[in-house]
Amino acid sequence: MGFFDALLGGGKKLKGPAPDRLFAMSTAYVTLDTGNGIRTKGTAAIVFQPLATADFESIVSEMEELLQGTGADTGTTIETSDDEHGYRWMVLRDDDIEDLVVAVNAVSDALAVGGYGDRVLAAVFAFADSKDRRVYFIYNYKRGSWYPFVPKGGHERDGERELQIKAIIGNELPIEPELERWFPLWGIPI
Amino acid sequence: MLLTMFLLGLLYVALVGAMFAAGANGVMIAVIAVGLAVFQLFSSDKLALRAMGGREVTPAEAPELHAMIERLCIQADLPKPKIAVAQTDMPNAFALGRSQKSATVCATTGIMNTLTPAELEGVMAHELSHVKNRDVMIMTIASFFASIAAMVMQFGFFFGGGGDDDDNPSMLVLFLVSIVVYVVSFFLMMALSRYREFVADRGAALMTGRPSALASALQKIASGMHRLPEQDLRVAKEMQAFYIFPAGAKGAVMGLFSTHPPMDKRIEALSRIEGELQRGTLAAA
Repeated sequence: MGFFDALLGGGKKLKGPAPDRLFAMSTAYVTLDTGNGIRTKGTAAIVFQPLATADFESIVSEMEELLQGTGADTGTTIETSDDEHGYRWMVLRDDDIEDLVVAVNAVSDALAVGGYGDRVLAAVFAFADSKDRRVYFIYNYKRGSWYPFVPKGGHERDGERELQIKAIIGNELPIEPELERWFPLWGIPI
Repeated sequence: MLLTMFLLGLLYVALVGAMFAAGANGVMIAVIAVGLAVFQLFSSDKLALRAMGGREVTPAEAPELHAMIERLCIQADLPKPKIAVAQTDMPNAFALGRSQKSATVCATTGIMNTLTPAELEGVMAHELSHVKNRDVMIMTIASFFASIAAMVMQFGFFFGGGGDDDDNPSMLVLFLVSIVVYVVSFFLMMALSRYREFVADRGAALMTGRPSALASALQKIASGMHRLPEQDLRVAKEMQAFYIFPAGAKGAVMGLFSTHPPMDKRIEALSRIEGELQRGTLAAA
């Protein structure tokens, strides 16, 4: 932000997506699986702010049709739900995590092409460790970085486990360096 | 707005010049004022929060508020501020702190009970816009010279009028300049503050994608404000600049003196933003 931006009250636009590092997951999952026992649950989701405009709704429904079309080939299924904060979740199911990454990328691409790239909040990939505890990997589009999220029930998270996972995968996934930006997402529907 | 800032800057230069003309006294005043301003900048948020009865809340105490603000922070690419809640029925919210990293946003229990989640989200996004735009810092700096001028005025009252002769005419000039600086900068600061409110409303609309939710929140808060007893309004007086809506504002009559633009104008501006959003031209603005 420049001097005059600061004086005049900041940039007029929301920050758009950072350079795309989403695809880092399509190789990192191998390391998570072999030796660390963190396996995909076969679900991922992308969460965004739905705008109540005709243009936005038509882009979203076109995108859904497109995904259902390609899903017939890859076996990826898709469902959408709105949460209590007014955000929309597109939940994708596919046992092949590489297909999930491609599908999540197709959603964010479609929104970006429509001019709504800044409305995408995050992508979430669900995993389970060897004790069958849920481990999420959250991709922050604004910052182009990943972080692990291990909820413990209620609104508590297992910080120790998250940091262990960072140590395991830090070389392969671009992990968010500022810990205070490891924002939790409570009530992830996957 | 650049013109306003230019005029503010010009005033300050004139003031500093007058101080140098007055010699060592002026310099001493400046040193004291700088010290006070620094103290204010570093300690005022805690004091102000306490004055408002705000208390920091953990995620366990206010899970919904935390979750809402966390999402807005991702969206606006901000570090998470401290979150506080004030136990009062007055529906209000405010932001404190000199930098993005040390910011605190506070909501009253009144506002949380009055508004729907989407409306509250609009209000909190407005406060986060203040944080993002560093409005607390900017207003503190803007008011810095005004407070120097005020100090010079008091100094003048105590010491300037003591003698019956004019052995120090530059002191009198300084005193007069200070009065002018104080009065004019006061009005310019109010204008600056009103401008930044509009900017924060727009920032909030961009952050949530729901300008009409914020407009509806403002409507509710404003209609609730007038039904409240005087005492509550006066307690809140010192912190009005960073409120979502100033307690006790009586509308456009107060125009020039007001830190916040009249509610009608803010709602009007938000409905224009909603129009841009519906036409798909918002991002280009």
